[in-house]
Formats: sequence, structure tokens, C-alpha cells
Amino acid sequence: MKFSLAWLCDHLEGKSSAAEMAQRLTAVGVNVELQETSGDDVVWDVDVTTNRPDAMNHRGLAREAAAAGCGTLKPLAVSVPEGATPVGELARLTVEDEAGCPRYCTRVVRGVKVGPSPAWLATRLERCGIRPINNIVDATNHVLLDVGHPLHAFDLPLLAGSEIRVRRARAGEGLTTLDGVSRTLTPEDLVIADGKRAVAIAGVMGGANTEIGPATRDVLIESAYFAPISVRRTAKRHGVSTEASQRFERGADRAMARTAVDLAAELILRLAGGEVLAGVLDSAPVLPAPRAIEFSLRRLSAFAGCEIPREFVAKVLAALDLAPQVAGDTVTCTVPSHRVDLELPEDLYEEVLRHFGYDNVPSVLPAFAVKPGKRLGTWPLTERARNALVAAGAAEALTYSFSSEELEGATAASALGERGGVVRVENPLSGRLAVLRRSLLAGLVEAAGGNLRRGAERVLLGEVGRVFFARGTEIVEEERLALTLAGTAGPWDVARAADFLDLKGVVEVVLAELGVEAAAWRPSTARLLASGEGAEVLVGDRVVAIAGRLSEPTAEAFDLPAPLWVAEVDLGAVAAERAPSFQLLPRFPAVTADLTVRHGLSLSYAELLGTIRVAASEWLETVSPVVRYRGEGVGAEEVKTTLRLVYRHPERSLTQEEVNAAHFALMDTLARKLAVSFQ
Amino acid sequence: MALETLERARQEFLAALAEAGSDPARVETVRVRFAGRRSGLLRDLEDALKLLPREEKPSYGKALNELKKFIEERLAAAHRAAADASKRGEVADVTLPGRRPALGAYHPVTLVRREIEEIFLRMGYSVADGPEAEDDWHNFEALNFPPDHPARDTQDTFFLKGGMLLRTHTSPVQIRTMETTPPPIRVIIPGRVYRCDSDLRHTPMFHQVEGLVVDEGITFGHLKATLEAFVHVLFDPEMGVRFRPSFFPFTEPSAEVDITCVFCRGKGCAVCTGSGWMEILGAGMVDPRVFRFCNVDPARYTGFAFGCGLDRVAMLKYGIPDLRMQFSGDERLLRQFEGIRR
Repeated sequence: MKFSLAWLCDHLEGKSSAAEMAQRLTAVGVNVELQETSGDDVVWDVDVTTNRPDAMNHRGLAREAAAAGCGTLKPLAVSVPEGATPVGELARLTVEDEAGCPRYCTRVVRGVKVGPSPAWLATRLERCGIRPINNIVDATNHVLLDVGHPLHAFDLPLLAGSEIRVRRARAGEGLTTLDGVSRTLTPEDLVIADGKRAVAIAGVMGGANTEIGPATRDVLIESAYFAPISVRRTAKRHGVSTEASQRFERGADRAMARTAVDLAAELILRLAGGEVLAGVLDSAPVLPAPRAIEFSLRRLSAFAGCEIPREFVAKVLAALDLAPQVAGDTVTCTVPSHRVDLELPEDLYEEVLRHFGYDNVPSVLPAFAVKPGKRLGTWPLTERARNALVAAGAAEALTYSFSSEELEGATAASALGERGGVVRVENPLSGRLAVLRRSLLAGLVEAAGGNLRRGAERVLLGEVGRVFFARGTEIVEEERLALTLAGTAGPWDVARAADFLDLKGVVEVVLAELGVEAAAWRPSTARLLASGEGAEVLVGDRVVAIAGRLSEPTAEAFDLPAPLWVAEVDLGAVAAERAPSFQLLPRFPAVTADLTVRHGLSLSYAELLGTIRVAASEWLETVSPVVRYRGEGVGAEEVKTTLRLVYRHPERSLTQEEVNAAHFALMDTLARKLAVSFQ
Repeated sequence: MALETLERARQEFLAALAEAGSDPARVETVRVRFAGRRSGLLRDLEDALKLLPREEKPSYGKALNELKKFIEERLAAAHRAAADASKRGEVADVTLPGRRPALGAYHPVTLVRREIEEIFLRMGYSVADGPEAEDDWHNFEALNFPPDHPARDTQDTFFLKGGMLLRTHTSPVQIRTMETTPPPIRVIIPGRVYRCDSDLRHTPMFHQVEGLVVDEGITFGHLKATLEAFVHVLFDPEMGVRFRPSFFPFTEPSAEVDITCVFCRGKGCAVCTGSGWMEILGAGMVDPRVFRFCNVDPARYTGFAFGCGLDRVAMLKYGIPDLRMQFSGDERLLRQFEGIRR
């Protein structure tokens, strides 16, 4: 919000330099963000926090400055020379909704001459970011910026029956507001009406039908106090935020309603001539009793962590118009109507401490009973998953949790992504951020595509994060890990494109790091993955991971320039971290024997291995792949798989003969059970 | 007798091998003579086993196996030596790049988060978490943002169905912690948060870390010292720290915490708009209204809370100029952090 330094100084006795004042205000929490010289004045941009509507005007800020040690606040002087005719003869006031409008004050100025404002006024308004319009409207805006109370001026003869009625709008009632927008009102909107129709949306904006124009002679000034929630709901409903609505919804000053109408009448008289009618129509001249807050000086010091001198407390609270009464340890303050933010002792602690200076409170580390902290919730799991990703060589990415309807839908087409409905954002920033991801791949594939389009030779990206499902009325979050792999297999292998086994290797490292054992891989038919190049990983009946090449239509939707291998792991399926334990090393030597099996492509490695495991001697320790060969000398639908088998007896050395016998017996069994032959 | 034959064979083999030296052809001749499959000496010695009396068989068999193994090993070594010799004069280019397994890289935000967690874990804080899809109570109301309060405007909220929303800060986990854990409480809460805002300096998703301490006798001075210690460990022990009064609905009093501008070291530059300071944390004493919402007795307990943007700390610490860059998944950025572990 913009402030004029000269205007601020009008409210202060005793001078301070601009720099000193800015520094002191910032130190007490009114952040002066920018200073600009404008003519003979300095214009500040001040960040007034939402709890301090009382400081959203020059007098309010001057009060803060005075409390911060920059001079003294001058008393507010107002005297309105009134004519003889009582205001009640020309205007009538009825407040039908006192909850929405606890106070409404109005004065009438008769016989004004509407014209441009004098230069001093126009300049002031412009420096504070308000466009000058004419002397009447500018006078009300001047009062707004001066003391913070929003006013409105009506062309009195245009008010049907010369009356003001504050009421709820009728269903479907229309009003064209001063911004030229024709609005349809609802019974929840509080309006100012005349005898026939709405003439303003209360606390938000006036209507065009009673606007002050060059021909206006008689002016009715509105200075009201509207309930914050009512104004806020109406402003939100109509999508407008005005100088008035911003102040009312934060909380205006009920007492100031009366002073402001006097200030406006006085200024209009000075600028536009005419006659101020006698008296004020005031719907609620008696103010509610001010709030009193009591606190203990001892507790204040205990709260701060250092002694705050009682004289200082009294001085600051007095400068803030809080009328402190100190009796022994107890301070009682009376809260003026402009301080809507003060309710509890802690609110007053803040008033004292911010003026005492946060930097003047000594820093002392708290003495805790020492108890080690630990990671709670899903942190231990997700941290293991991140370690697994990095151990597998991936670069950890963090991508948005949002995606477009189309891309999210494509990446969710798997057993992991179809665990619930999609969660939509009701107010998305754009179509690209319309829904929450059910698969981390929504963002990760996009990121991988970016790398490929930038010409990356190899991509190995991973992410650990949450996915979201709509299940019934619930939104369920699951922790996931995902990977994307593309490009070449690695250094010295640039000619070879990454393939399924490269991806599987990475996934296997991740699963091993996560302690997922006994995982079974089987072909997947998920639409996410290319037909014949996708797999699901199961533990028991549960799909814990999917892996494969991204299907062509999905790759196209992401505009990928090259094939992409993707995988996702459900971290919910991950076991608790394995407790490390040691097994005694074998005491007897192992005997190794290779086995080359020639078999049809329909026999999977898992099946071959499973059969070997069942059929082999109990001495068989491990089986590992050596080489797979397809090509010359092997049928088109065949493959030769060479395995290395390691035999070991726990309690003695095996002889070559024993191993040979076991090995031949195994080959016999395999030949009987499977359609295989041997070299 | 038989065992002596074996020992003689061993000596003969060693002599022959010594004579062959490192000539590959001559080593091969030695192999055929002793270990050849059809007519090698070992084959003959195996055949001899069958003719031995039963009581001599086990010891002979064992010694024969040992000899076989010995001969195989020596032959393999001689073959390697011969191979080496044949390459003599040729030096391997040890400057060629190795076939190295890919190094992974933690995201800079993860690195910064872990560093911050470590600082607080050492001070006895736990690390908590909570849902990202939140309800209005935890994200707003219990944090003293009443319905229809203008302070909600500063939160730019994404709404989901059924009155749910994406948490706009990690502060709802303060409420969840106080609802389930009696004081004393010491936690930090890192996590993803969402604001309906996107421009040069804002992304709709970013990361915060929140801290909460609730105990008897917690003071504003404790808050100050804790955050000063934090900044001094995270950045630099000489780093200037200042506290400015501010407003957050859930703390009273509230403060914004500035550190010396890391770019100009406090001299004033474009980044800090000439002030020499940059804002890094929001903090304050827990508002008693919040305690009441969580059934914590404000007459007995006081506490403090603080929060800061992890992405911003990562930018400051590592010199990453653009917030959005961190969420692009660009490996040229991410791989710069290979080998960094926290």
C-alpha cells in the first residue's frame, strides 16, 4: 500500500527523517518495502499485514510511527459548520439488517458545485495510487486514505424518496456498479437501497444510478460500519476487491464512522461549497463497551525470556492508545475500536515485544531433557526408497503432483495406477495441472522427454513421492517410487540401446535395496506398457511393481523422440528394513558345472530355473546365467541358455564324480519334464 | 611306493615347466604331456589307481587329486605368464575411461532437507509427516484462519472435492502432532506444499520445513536462539540474523527472520533490493487459540513454531538461479549433485 511521507507528517508533532522513520516502522513490523521520491514528497510502499486494517491509512501509520519513537500523534481536529435545516428534512435512514450493518451515519451537503479537485488533493491521491475523479468523490477518498474509513457519496435527488434503506438484496435484483458491470444480486448480498431499488453493494461498490456527476447539487455522504464476513462473502461472490471491501473485510473502525462523515462534510464544504445540513443520521450512536484485556507483567517477562521494564510497557501501550492501567503485577488495557486484532494477553505481549525490539530479547537455547529424535510416519520408508534410487544410479527428480487429464490417464493405465479414481483440482491453474497424479510417471515421463529432446544420450531419472486416489468419498495417498530409463546402455556400450534387462536390473537393485524378496515377474497387459514388453512384479497376489517399455500411444502423447523404459514400485508393499545378520562362511569347497540348455522360446527362464531348483540335488547352491544364444545353429523359435551351477556340501568336500552324477541326473529330469535338449 | 610315483611326477612336471619358460608353445607341450586328456601322465596315474590294493586306494586317490589341482593351477599361471610375455612392450592405456556403474544423485532439495533434518535430529527433534490432501480444519481453522477470513487470501489454495484441499503449508502437521502427542513436543515437518500461483518466483508446488516446540516455560528467547543456531549451522557461523515483527494467524507474536544477503554479504544488491538482508524464515510463539483448538492448555504450555522454504534454501546454498528449474527433471542440473551424500 502506498503512503505519502508528507501526509504522514501532517499527523505528527516533531520531525524524523524519512530513513529513520522507515527503519523504525520496519523494526516494529510495518515493513516499508520501497521508497521513491515524487516531487517534494517521498512515496512509500508499505506492507501492512492483514491483521492491521487500522494501519491501512496515514493516521494509523502515523500512530505506529509515534509509538515507535518518531514524534507524537496530533489530535484529530474536526469542526463542521452546519446550516439551520436539519438533515432529517431532506433524507431518511432505515437499517433493516443491523447484523450486516451495525452502524450507518450520513450527512447531507446541499448546493455543492462539482468540479475538479485542487492540485494538492489530486497529487496526494495520485501518489497513493488513486485516480482523481471530481472534488466530491476525491474528498471521500481523501478521508479514506487519511483515517481509513471507506465512504460513499450519493447524488441525493436521484435517491427515490430521498431515503436510504440498508437491506438484503431481493433474489435476482440487478445493479450496474460504478465499474460499469451489470450485476445480479442474491439475498445474501447486503445492499444500500432507496425507496425503490438497490443503489450500492454495501461496503463493496456504489451503483451507477446514483453516481455523483457534473450536475450533482445535493450530496448524501455514507459512512457506515459493515460486518466483515458479509462484505467478504459478497466481494468474493462478485469477484471484486475494492479499497472499501479490503478494509471492511479486515475490520473497519465503528467509532470512526461518525468522525469520518464529519471530515468528509468539512472537506466537501471547503472544496465544493454549499451547506452542510444540521445533524447526522446515525443508526447506532451508542458504541459497544470497549474490550478490556488484563495481563501479568511477570508472565510477559517469562514469555519473552527476559525482564521487560514496567515503565517501557506502560509507555508503549499508552502510545498505542491502549490506556494501560498498571496495578502491581497487573496491567489492564482498554482496546480502542480501531484495534480489531487485540483480544488476548498474548496479543498485547506482541505489541510490547515488537516495540521493545525482537533483537533486544537475548537468545537462549532451550534446555531440553535429552531424548534422541527419530523419523516418524512414512519418512523411514521414503528415505530408504530415495537411497535405493540413488544406489541404482538414478538422478532423483521432483516433479509436480499435477498433470493433465490426458497424460495422467495414460500413465495411470496399470495395476498400480488403477487403484482408485482420479482426484481433480477444482480450481486448476491450467489444463496441464488439472488432476492429481495416480502414477509418478505423469511427471517423470515428461521430464525424461525433456532430457531426450535436449539431446541426452542416456536418461536414468527417478522420483519418490505420493500419488492420490479417489476412493468413495476419501482421498487416499500412497507412497511410490518410479524410474525412467532411455538411450544407450552406458560407456563403452554406446552402440547398444537400453533394453528390458537394463531396466529390470535397475528395478532389481531397487527392490533388493528395499528388501523386497520373493518377487515374481510375469508379463503384463497394462495399456501403459508396450504389448509384449511389459511386466508386473508380484509378491504373493499383490502387484508391487510394474516395468516395461512405455506404449507407443502414450509415448506419442508425451511427444517422446525415443523409446522409454519405465517402472513404478508401490512402497506400501515394502517390508520393514531387514535386520543385518551374519551367516557362517562355508567350510568346504564348491564345485562348478556349466549347463547349456537348448529350448523353445515359450519356456521362460523362471520356469527353467524353477524346474532345476525342484529337480536338482540338495547340494545345488546357486544358479546364474552365463549366456543366451539365438542365431545360427539354433532354430528360429529356439534359444540356447548356458547356466552356471554351483554345488556344495555343508559338511564335506564333494568329489567330481558325485557332482557329475548329480549333474547328469538333473539333465535327465529336465529332459523328461521340459522340452529341452543339451549340447 | 605309489605315493612316491606321484611325487616323482610332480618333480618332473616342475622341471619341464621351468624349462618351457614363458614360451606359449612349449607350455602347451608340457600341458599335453602331463594333463592331456587322452595320453597325459595324469591319465596314466588315474588308471594306476584301479590296480592298487584296496587299502592303498584312499591315500593315493587323495594325493592324486591334490596333484591334479596343483598341475592345473601351475599350468594356468604359466599360460598367463606366457600371455603377458607375448604382450611385453605393449602398455595398457590406463587413461581410458572405466566401465563404471552409474552414480546416482540426490535432488538438491533432498540434500538440503536432510541437512536440516540432521541439525534438528541432533537437537532432539523428531521428523514428522502428514497428508498432502488436507481438510479445512487442519490447514486453516485450527491454525486460527477462521472461515471467511482475509488471511486465507494469502494462501492461494487449490481445492479438491468434498471440502478437501491441497495443503498450502506444512503447518497442518503441527495440529496433527498436537492432536496426537502430549507435550513436550519437538518436531520438524518437511514436505510438499501447494499454492495456486505460478510465475518467475512461484511454482504451484514447492517444499517447506516446519518446526514446532511445545513445553512448559518455552520463551521467545528460546525461539530466537534455536533459529540462530539453525542458520549458523546451515549457512555460516558468522551469518547475520535479524528478527522482524510480522503476522501469521497461528503465532503471536510473529516474526520474519532475515539473514545477511548471501550474494552481497550485506552490502546491498539487486537480489536483496539493496537492504543487505534476505527473508528466510517465518516464525513465532504458538497462538493460544491454536493450543485451545488442539486441547493443549495455554495456561501451562507455551511453544514456538517456524517454517522455511526448502527450495529457496537449496537455491541460496547451491546458487541455483531459478526455482522452476528444480522441478524440470533436467539431468544436466540433477547430475551436478552426483556423489553428494547427506
